[in-house]
Amino acid sequence: MRKTVVDYINNKKTHSSTLAFFRVTFGALMFLSVIRFWSKGWINSLYVEPTFHFKYFGFSWVQDFGIYTYLVFVICLVSSLFVTIGYKYRISIICFFLAFTYVELIDKTTYLNHYYLTSCLSFIMCFLPAANYFSIDNLISGQKHEHIPAWTVDTVKFFICIVYFYAGIAKINSDWLIEAQPLSIWLKSKYDLPIIGETLLQQKSIHYLASWFGMLYDVFIPFFLIYYRTRYIAFFFVIVFHVLTKVFFPAIGMFPYIMIFSAVIFFDSKLHILLLEKIKMVLNKTLTFFRIKISNTSKTVYKPIIIKKIIPFILVTFLLIQIVFPFRYFLYPGELFWNEQGYRFSWRVMLIEKRGETTFKVKDSITNNFFYVKNDDFLTPFQIKQMSFQPDFILEYAHYLGEHFKKQGHKNIQIFADSFVALNGRPSQRFIDPNIDLLSKKESFYNKNWILPLNDVIKGL
Amino acid sequence: MKKYITFLPLTIVLISIQCSSEMDDTDNLVIDETITTEIVSDSNSTDNNNNSNSSSSDSDSNSFNHKEMLTNWVDNIIIPSITNFDNSLEIFEESATTFVNAPTTETLSNLKEAWLSSFLKWQHVEMFDIGLSEEIFYKNRINLYPTNVEKIENNISDQNYDLDEPVNFSAQGLNGIDYLLFGIGENENEIISKFSDENLNYGKYLTDLVDKMVSLTSEIKLSWSDEYKSSFISSTDNTASSSINKVVNDFIYYFEKGYRANKIGIPAGVFSDKPLPNRVEAYYGKNYSKILALEATDAVNYFFNGNHSNDTESKGLSIKDYLDYLEADKEEKLSEKINSQLEKIKTKVSELNTNFSEQVNQENLKMLIAYDVIQANVVFLKVDMLQVLNISVDYVDADGD
Repeated sequence: MRKTVVDYINNKKTHSSTLAFFRVTFGALMFLSVIRFWSKGWINSLYVEPTFHFKYFGFSWVQDFGIYTYLVFVICLVSSLFVTIGYKYRISIICFFLAFTYVELIDKTTYLNHYYLTSCLSFIMCFLPAANYFSIDNLISGQKHEHIPAWTVDTVKFFICIVYFYAGIAKINSDWLIEAQPLSIWLKSKYDLPIIGETLLQQKSIHYLASWFGMLYDVFIPFFLIYYRTRYIAFFFVIVFHVLTKVFFPAIGMFPYIMIFSAVIFFDSKLHILLLEKIKMVLNKTLTFFRIKISNTSKTVYKPIIIKKIIPFILVTFLLIQIVFPFRYFLYPGELFWNEQGYRFSWRVMLIEKRGETTFKVKDSITNNFFYVKNDDFLTPFQIKQMSFQPDFILEYAHYLGEHFKKQGHKNIQIFADSFVALNGRPSQRFIDPNIDLLSKKESFYNKNWILPLNDVIKGL
Repeated sequence: MKKYITFLPLTIVLISIQCSSEMDDTDNLVIDETITTEIVSDSNSTDNNNNSNSSSSDSDSNSFNHKEMLTNWVDNIIIPSITNFDNSLEIFEESATTFVNAPTTETLSNLKEAWLSSFLKWQHVEMFDIGLSEEIFYKNRINLYPTNVEKIENNISDQNYDLDEPVNFSAQGLNGIDYLLFGIGENENEIISKFSDENLNYGKYLTDLVDKMVSLTSEIKLSWSDEYKSSFISSTDNTASSSINKVVNDFIYYFEKGYRANKIGIPAGVFSDKPLPNRVEAYYGKNYSKILALEATDAVNYFFNGNHSNDTESKGLSIKDYLDYLEADKEEKLSEKINSQLEKIKTKVSELNTNFSEQVNQENLKMLIAYDVIQANVVFLKVDMLQVLNISVDYVDADGD
């Protein structure tokens, strides 16, 4: 066993083009994503404008830089471009990973699974020789490696398999499969789509079909992509599935494209060579620069030099964490979709429809005088929306309000939440114990026992 | 090899289709306008002025007719409400002229009557903060309170003011006139004598305020041209810029701010350390805050249930019907919850003093109870209803997954 593992790490090789193609598409998609994000004015509305940011537990030190937050996006933009063309690849991908992740850590209001996916993929890529082929670095050094160790590509594949598989098993629950929720709500509201909108999408049977298909797709697609006989048909489904998600949920952003292009990595490297040749042909027509021939193609396999043993170890550890981390919700009592303790960073994508209305009562514990806070005095509409149904947001905001009113000279402050939340088509119900002074509770990894339980049971994973 | 190549163009084609459909969202308004001209002729045939039975007949069919709902809103609720307000302002303007020319107890009492009549009609207009109304801050210019007495007095004494300046929004409208008719003197005689003295310019300011309301309202009325109307009605999509989403959002926003907070919450001190009895609507008139709030309660009820403005016995497709369509398989209907809560609200508001200001001073608890009953419906509308309709809060723009 040990021998085969060592043999696999040391000797199993694959063609460099696979990772190079992945690098080019990933870099280009990131470049476009940043431009899209910028052009929609979101840097300003999500990071610069808000006076208050919701922090991930333990990351309150991550601050925005006001108007200079744009500079972090410039770093993302430039580094993603450099990653695409393979110029100073290693430092570029590290810069991209750090800058992108930093932005994500500024405010958890903007948390999206595909931003987390981007952080994870770019983290993995920091350790991979992705610019060994078809890169400016090659042109500069005048040499390239035909082959790289197979574990480099396999790490990416394995990670993508985890993403799909976990997204799939998360759908194995009674709301998704038995009630066809939240897809019933979402698909019915797509009545404005041509032809199918007012007909098919209004049918309950279609909602069930979509729910079951979505679950089965996510669970099984990694296996069909790995197995070479089913790969083509699987990739066809990848395209169909992600294009459909884009049609039904335009707000899903760049996610479908990232997944479609990432799935190309499962193909044989012959395809990647071919595709890169195509790109090269186009470039050759426009840019003479690329006509320079690389004379010294090394027939040896690329080997990480300095920390060669550490890199596989880091990546294996990373993958193990990925496998275990989504199950941390087992440590908490109550319904995961309701209390969201262990919900994020677990590939639970498009899984719940949840809305809330949460207001805060500021009370003087001695005089019993109280008043309600107008949330829009402190938060952006987007923050209000996200805060209203997520307990950790509610707690953090309560403490922020406590500090604010203490500074204003209020004394003996207590803060109570008047909170109502609706989940997956259920009627709204009270969410937070209205008799608990939230200032007496601190954020931690312990169970938040001040969340009132959901008046229903959702069975499943 | 060849089959490898087929994937790339396929992917590119699919993606480019998608990119263009994503752009549709932002380009919606432009597209709507170009479609407009083609649909103008169509709009006449889809007029549903007398479709009192449409709600029952439509509930068993497979899909919901969004266009019919929009048509009902526009033809039977929005435009008639604006027209009614506009007509009442005409009478108001006449009474104002009569009064300014000859300030007597009688002309004053006629003027007050006309003022109240317009104020009541306004309650049916305020929630439709769309199109030109939104652009010109129409609701702030008609019904912003507390009115700024100091500003009004300065304007009158300086005789140098531009009512179109935002700083003067709090010195005009129905509440500005409320101050002029009820607040500039200790008693009616004092008020009449102030108006009688032409050098004091109260009459001129009153006329200016009324004229401004008249001109703004006729602008709003004109903005609902056939062309605008048909583009509005044909925008049935479920996007941030579509008519349904905008009106629903405006409706909830009105219920939360214009109705719950302004009329009840703020005077009751819900958002402040102490109650603020001088923050009630039509504060100087003293006896009108309740009658105005009750009228607004009806307006909310009528819009939610699709009752026609000019004939509240008749109904057309409404949010209620839309909810019932979407909840066809549910036993406990959300629309019933919302309607029964609206009934409770009406009861609680009816129990209040005719003058909310006095209610706050004497027994604020009753105001707070009314507030809680209203707040419960805010939850139904904002959380449950928006979930069922799957309409997003309009000013939120970001990706989701």
